[in-house]
Amino acid sequence: MRDPGRNTIEASLRRVRLIAGNTLGEALRLRLTLLLALIGAGLVIGALGLREFNFGNAELKFIGDFGLGAVGGFGTLLAALATAQLFFSEIQGRAAYCILTRPVRRWEYIWGKFCGIAALLALFTAVLGALIATLLIWRGAQLGTTTASLSIFLCACAVQWLKLTLIAGMTLLVCSYSGSALFASCAGLILAVIAHVRPFLTDSGPMTWLRIWPNLSLFDAEAILASVRPPTAAVLWGMVGYWAVYVAVFGSIASYAFKRREF
Amino acid sequence: MSEAAATVWAVELIDFGKNYSADWRGRSAPAVDSLTLRLEPGQVLGLLGPNGSGKSTTLKAMGGLLRPSRGRCLIFGHPAGSDRARSLVGYLQELPQFPTHLTGREFLRFCGGLSSMDEKIIATRSAEVLEWSGLAAAADLRVSSYSKGMLQRLGLAQAILHDPPLVLLDEPASGLDPAGRLALNRLIRDLSVRGKTVIFSSHLLAQTEQLCDRLAILGRGRILVEGTPAELLGEDRRQIPQPSRLEELYLEKLEQYA
Repeated sequence: MRDPGRNTIEASLRRVRLIAGNTLGEALRLRLTLLLALIGAGLVIGALGLREFNFGNAELKFIGDFGLGAVGGFGTLLAALATAQLFFSEIQGRAAYCILTRPVRRWEYIWGKFCGIAALLALFTAVLGALIATLLIWRGAQLGTTTASLSIFLCACAVQWLKLTLIAGMTLLVCSYSGSALFASCAGLILAVIAHVRPFLTDSGPMTWLRIWPNLSLFDAEAILASVRPPTAAVLWGMVGYWAVYVAVFGSIASYAFKRREF
Repeated sequence: MSEAAATVWAVELIDFGKNYSADWRGRSAPAVDSLTLRLEPGQVLGLLGPNGSGKSTTLKAMGGLLRPSRGRCLIFGHPAGSDRARSLVGYLQELPQFPTHLTGREFLRFCGGLSSMDEKIIATRSAEVLEWSGLAAAADLRVSSYSKGMLQRLGLAQAILHDPPLVLLDEPASGLDPAGRLALNRLIRDLSVRGKTVIFSSHLLAQTEQLCDRLAILGRGRILVEGTPAELLGEDRRQIPQPSRLEELYLEKLEQYA
């Protein structure tokens, strides 16, 4: 009846994939996801109406910055709130019991959740990114000016996604030991803010220990979009490596905390 | 080696105790205290007791959802919660809820995948358990449209999907209509005949008395009394509970309406 190779890496990956797929399916039906995506899209389109307030910047640059800012802002909300909601809905509704009483390891559950949320954030970034790109191309054609190259724009979106998934990782870490979705959401958002302003906090003084916390200002999508050439491979791989280390650390600690959790 | 020492018990609780943290000072209250219980493969055990007596805690410990504070909990000789022990268990939680974006069939496919079942076997076995649980007609409807009783049936279906040798059912009859309860009784008896071990908690005393090989009455986290119905009641009344006249009428009318 059962696959004898159930304890292999392949079997683990299958379970992670199943949990990720289930998490994504559930996330796509959340009203929160739809609401944030619609508001984000509205804001991106609204950039056209706000282009008079471009503070002297080129119009296309303003639309790009504003759009990516909307992806970052609403994406941050989505990363923190959806992660907490998806994690706790399954535990409080006891649906997690029929998963965790099967030969599913706790780390598989945590990584499955993370991958599902990362897929949701990829979809969110891709949809809003496509909308921004469409606006830039359309408006660029009207003005007769050239827009940023596609490779630069894709790099900016990818960097934004790295940042959002890191926020989801922070929230998942809180979820793994906290008792309520509200606490985990708030804590996730506060940790995201700290990670954004970290360089200002850790210059000197009593907050220097915060240097161990990730610095999200390194993932500057707007700066990439403003540049003439796409970032070098070394810069991109540096970002990916930085992201991977923190995601691995957050995931490992969350897995350990969740392994000790009782229901 | 004595015969008793050679026995691999389906479930073996040795001085099992579980405390829950009660307040901010870290003081804890015992939910289950010094519970010792052994069950042979193929037996059906009914756990009875008032709310808060430790039935669900005991079942959760067997399912690996919580760790013993004291003592040991073994499933076929493996520590409860280990990968091996969990592969041998089917578990139905009390008042189950399942992912609402999936259909019943998709949910079973998901559960089968988590139990490392082969896709073809999942399809065959899903059809069987959906048929048994009376959900075949609703198999392709979304779980969000299921009634409380249908969720309970789906919970039962997922618990036996991977054909586990030990089935743990936490108040399986709650939410079931008379037809569902009769089907549940037949399932428990059928599982026993096929050599499966079943442990369920219930507040339905008559049903439990008639279905079980062994009974345990819990109170305040302790076993108050435990044994076979014959030992406890002086006569063996084990049988599949038969429908009452009202239940017969109810089922007859439903069949006519269908």
